[in-house]
Amino acid sequence: MSPHTKLLTSLSLTLGTTITISSTHWLMAWAGPELNTLAIIPYTSKSHHPRSIEAAIKYFLVQATASTLLLFSSMTNAWATGQWDITQLTHPTSSLLLTVAIAMKLGLVPFHFWFPEVMQGSPLITAMLLSTMMKFPPTILLLMTSHSLNPTLLTILAVASVTIGGWMGLNQTQLRKILAFSSIAHLGWLAAVIIYSPKLALLIFYLYTLMTITVFLTLNSTKALKLPTLMTSWTKNLSLNAILMLTLLSLAGLPPLTGFLPKWLTIQELTKQEMAATATALAILSLLGLFFYLRLAYYSTITLPPNSTNHMKHWHFTKPTNTTTAILATLSMLTLPLSPLILAIT
Amino acid sequence: MALTVTLLNSAYLCGRCCSHKVLHPLLGPLLNDSMSKLYSSYRRPGSQPEKKPSWENTDFSFKKGINFLKSQLNMLKEETKDYLIGPGGYPLSQYLLEQTKVLWEFRSQEDLNKWVISSDVEIGGKSEVYLKLGRNNQAALLYGTLNTEVPRDGETKYSGYCSMRAKPPVGSFARKKYYDWSNFNSLYLRVRGDGRPWMVNIYTDPYFSHQKDDLYSYFMFTRGGPYWEEIKIPFSKFFLSSRGRVQDQQHPVWLDKISTLGFTIGDKVDGPFQLEIDFIGLLNDRAHTEEFAYETYEKV
Repeated sequence: MSPHTKLLTSLSLTLGTTITISSTHWLMAWAGPELNTLAIIPYTSKSHHPRSIEAAIKYFLVQATASTLLLFSSMTNAWATGQWDITQLTHPTSSLLLTVAIAMKLGLVPFHFWFPEVMQGSPLITAMLLSTMMKFPPTILLLMTSHSLNPTLLTILAVASVTIGGWMGLNQTQLRKILAFSSIAHLGWLAAVIIYSPKLALLIFYLYTLMTITVFLTLNSTKALKLPTLMTSWTKNLSLNAILMLTLLSLAGLPPLTGFLPKWLTIQELTKQEMAATATALAILSLLGLFFYLRLAYYSTITLPPNSTNHMKHWHFTKPTNTTTAILATLSMLTLPLSPLILAIT
Repeated sequence: MALTVTLLNSAYLCGRCCSHKVLHPLLGPLLNDSMSKLYSSYRRPGSQPEKKPSWENTDFSFKKGINFLKSQLNMLKEETKDYLIGPGGYPLSQYLLEQTKVLWEFRSQEDLNKWVISSDVEIGGKSEVYLKLGRNNQAALLYGTLNTEVPRDGETKYSGYCSMRAKPPVGSFARKKYYDWSNFNSLYLRVRGDGRPWMVNIYTDPYFSHQKDDLYSYFMFTRGGPYWEEIKIPFSKFFLSSRGRVQDQQHPVWLDKISTLGFTIGDKVDGPFQLEIDFIGLLNDRAHTEEFAYETYEKV
């Protein structure tokens, strides 16, 4: 992509996110995600491959529909209550429609069907942006309206997302699809607590973003797109491979890694809210996700394949690992001891 | 489609009933003869004449429905069991370690039923193609006669092709399934030809209809000898063509969602042809390091 296009699209992405998170009027809250959608289309379809273009079209159609629903919900609220303030979404139909619209944007079940295909069609860095940065504005919108959302609907979405994210990720061999399902599962955890403790939901989102960016940057350094490539990546960068294993286990939520913190705090919060059954269900269903993360980690790091790689891009691999990856990896594995500090602040 | 035809038919009948001169200029083309205006009035010689509309063909037998439901539920049960084992029904370790895989082998009539043969008869040509099991049920024999005589309909310029195409994989309740060949980098064919060049086509069944004509092709040159040949065609060599025209912007075929494989002969030579295929498989050739054979420079 030419530098001008890159500048324009990256600035649009930043602008769209900033507009949404700092908005108080529903019109601005709608304009922000629309800007984001349009700005990420060139990134998704950069390689002009039919699958990339298919991913871009699918992404655009879904996000446009969700934005329409968002606008419709704000209009019904304005019709019923006479004001366009985001935090004052009091009409029940409007909040229902808003939840559905945000669920479509985030890829929560049952509106998740577009997400793995879009991730599979995009390049690795774009997939990273799709699963982290593009989820930020809808999460903030949910946060701002969290006091008026329907708890039953959100709990159903949450449990279904964790189930489907874990179940569908089991037999995937394409890494981007695996990370898509992991994203669906993590956002399910987020949706479970957003009403009861919005700050906790934000913490879950930040930690999930941190771990996901680490994984994507690691995969990007070896350009690994499928499981067999990951299996032979130990020859190219041994320490990064070991760190990848720990980061994946952190995503799975194993103590003593960072990923355990959001799950622990979510279960604690849900139990406080007399929802122990939901908490148990979420914890048991995450075992499915744990299974495939563990399998990924096992096959990438612990086993030694009988062959070496003949993946072309690896031959030109002379760059040392990015400092960013190293810092993010450290943060995504070792932040659990800081949990008293985090709990004191939030 | 059926609703459109009914609508147009009813519009035609309504137009006949009422004689408002005002409406006729607007609805003129619709009212003349609704059936023929939906598609061109010329019916190609090879296609079947329209007899019964498709909605009159349905069979409302209850027993047949129950049997169908039972068979589909059985398939669903098998699919769930395979899902629990691993990708494609095999354990993940097998998926990660395999270097060869046989996709289609021709040992019985059921294996032949997974393929569809066609020729230029569908556009009015005169080629013939047949598929049968070879000697000792060890191979499939695709044979026939190629005839490049152009059908006289005024619009066709070329003719003379015969092809054999695999049926796309179908799951329970007629859901589309796809092959995942991303673990491999070459096609491995054990064939015995007659010296004629064939074209191997891969179809990836895209989601949107604009790309439904996209086909990735490469050539298979056969020797005529009495010995079997093992032909390896790397996937990096397949080029993109759409509706028969090779595209300017080329890209490598993505192997994670393949629908069908096909063989076509169309080398503009009149006469008989014959191809015996023992099996079609995949190979992960460790010595083949090319990623894509065409236009690998960075396109802005």
